[in-house]
Amino acid sequence: MILRLKDIHISFTNAQNETFELLRGVNLDVETGKITALVGGNGTGKTTLFNIISGFEKNYTGIMLFEGKDICNASAHRISLMGIGRLFQNGQLMGGLTLMENMKLASNDSTGEKPFSSLIFPRKWKQSEAQKESQTRKILNRFFGKDNKYLDMLDEDAATFSYGEQRILSLCCLLMGGNRLLLLDEPTSGVNPLFIETTEQIIREMKEKEGLTVLLIEHNMHFVRKVADVCAYLDEGVIAKVGPTDEVLDDKNVRNSYLGL
Amino acid sequence: MEYVFHIIIMLNIYIMLVLSANLTIGMANLLTMCQAAFYGIGAYIGTFFLTQFNLPFVVIAFLVMVITGTFSFLVSFASVRLKDDYFVIATMGFQLIFFTILYNWTDVTGGPHGLLDVPGIKLFGVYELSGVYEYLILSLIITAIVVWLFHNLASSPFGRVLNAIRADETMALAMGRDTAMFKSWAFFLSAAIAGLAGVVYASYNSYINPNSFKLDESIFILSALFIGGIGNTKGPILGALFVVIIPELLRFVGLPNTIAANLRQIIYGLSLVLVMYYRPQGILGKTILK
Repeated sequence: MILRLKDIHISFTNAQNETFELLRGVNLDVETGKITALVGGNGTGKTTLFNIISGFEKNYTGIMLFEGKDICNASAHRISLMGIGRLFQNGQLMGGLTLMENMKLASNDSTGEKPFSSLIFPRKWKQSEAQKESQTRKILNRFFGKDNKYLDMLDEDAATFSYGEQRILSLCCLLMGGNRLLLLDEPTSGVNPLFIETTEQIIREMKEKEGLTVLLIEHNMHFVRKVADVCAYLDEGVIAKVGPTDEVLDDKNVRNSYLGL
Repeated sequence: MEYVFHIIIMLNIYIMLVLSANLTIGMANLLTMCQAAFYGIGAYIGTFFLTQFNLPFVVIAFLVMVITGTFSFLVSFASVRLKDDYFVIATMGFQLIFFTILYNWTDVTGGPHGLLDVPGIKLFGVYELSGVYEYLILSLIITAIVVWLFHNLASSPFGRVLNAIRADETMALAMGRDTAMFKSWAFFLSAAIAGLAGVVYASYNSYINPNSFKLDESIFILSALFIGGIGNTKGPILGALFVVIIPELLRFVGLPNTIAANLRQIIYGLSLVLVMYYRPQGILGKTILK
């Protein structure tokens, strides 16, 4: 078990001072080395749950264990350094930085990021930069083929790529090292059918070749059936059903309440 | 010729100031309105060391940079808790508090009369610089070092993280970067460089008073940065060149001083409006302030 969520509650207060409990005791065990899909209707709290796991939302109660360690009080950057990577719902590459800079930032190797060491030991960080550059090229070769166009666009501003390209390249960023659990928030949203196939390949390889655990939020049920080993259905603030993907998605109650079938 | 040398010395001081502002504003997207306060802290602390101790300039410069940098934590503390407009207002508050202290703490700062007879820089604790030519050489060397430092910082992994904070702070956090710490470092270095400019100015001018370090001066530094361009090394140098050279050129037009001063303000204001409209990243800038 890489991640254990126990009795997670979170409430929000609106402008009229009315309190609404969004998560009402979420319990979820994410199995190591598997792809788990978190499904549920819009506004059920899936992204909020991701925000809680990755340390961006702190006003909750409950217990959260990552590899057996309590991460409830850890800050967002600490949680990332522990090995939890994240693809945001509308997250794209960082504009104003090149594709290569985005890939390098995604690496957990922070050599040269201290201002004085960056000035005093340039040789040390230049070595590490060369390694990151080589790793970037390997990742791009692996998913887009040899001599793909992205290799010639490494120094282009990331904002010049299309939304779909940015989504898929953001996934590639997560492979730069250091992560053990990946939280992917709607990886196929806004991505064309051809890129959805590449997205599927990348997520499969994350699990099979990199040994990573993936927890993903997805509304594309066809995609969920293809990639997810386990599916958890979030409804009315709790995990209403969890189990093998086909079993959950074929469940009469899930089909009725979420898929409307 | 002394007149030209004087202009070059002032240009060097402004290059340091505008580059220091670029570190926080242009790279980390933290719009600060208190760069003149750090410039002033450097000038007053530098004056204290120059007056009280017979230390080599390298030691005084180091002490001034560290102390001024330490003052920056007051501002970086606010940057962690306040965002956007609220942060800008907080930095303005810091600037106003600093000016009020300078103006009213007469026993230490000389109040509105300032401090007279600031000693010259002693290179090795022995040889005291005097004259425009010697200060020209010193200011050129210090500015060259600051430009080199800034260029190397900007193109290092540290600079990349600051750029990432500017682009998307949430993403930078999600990538494991302690953004509060990086912002604090940016402030520290920015204040330290402004402080260094302050000590050079104080000893060169041999007189300082609070009016050189008020909010107008912070806005002036900001204007130079926005006109020249943010996010790289070339932009701030051009910006400093612009704000230092324009008033000098107006002298040769033959306008009376009162008109020239107003015309200078109009030229700065108009340049800012035009640059913001047609080239928001500044003439040679790399990035746009968010």
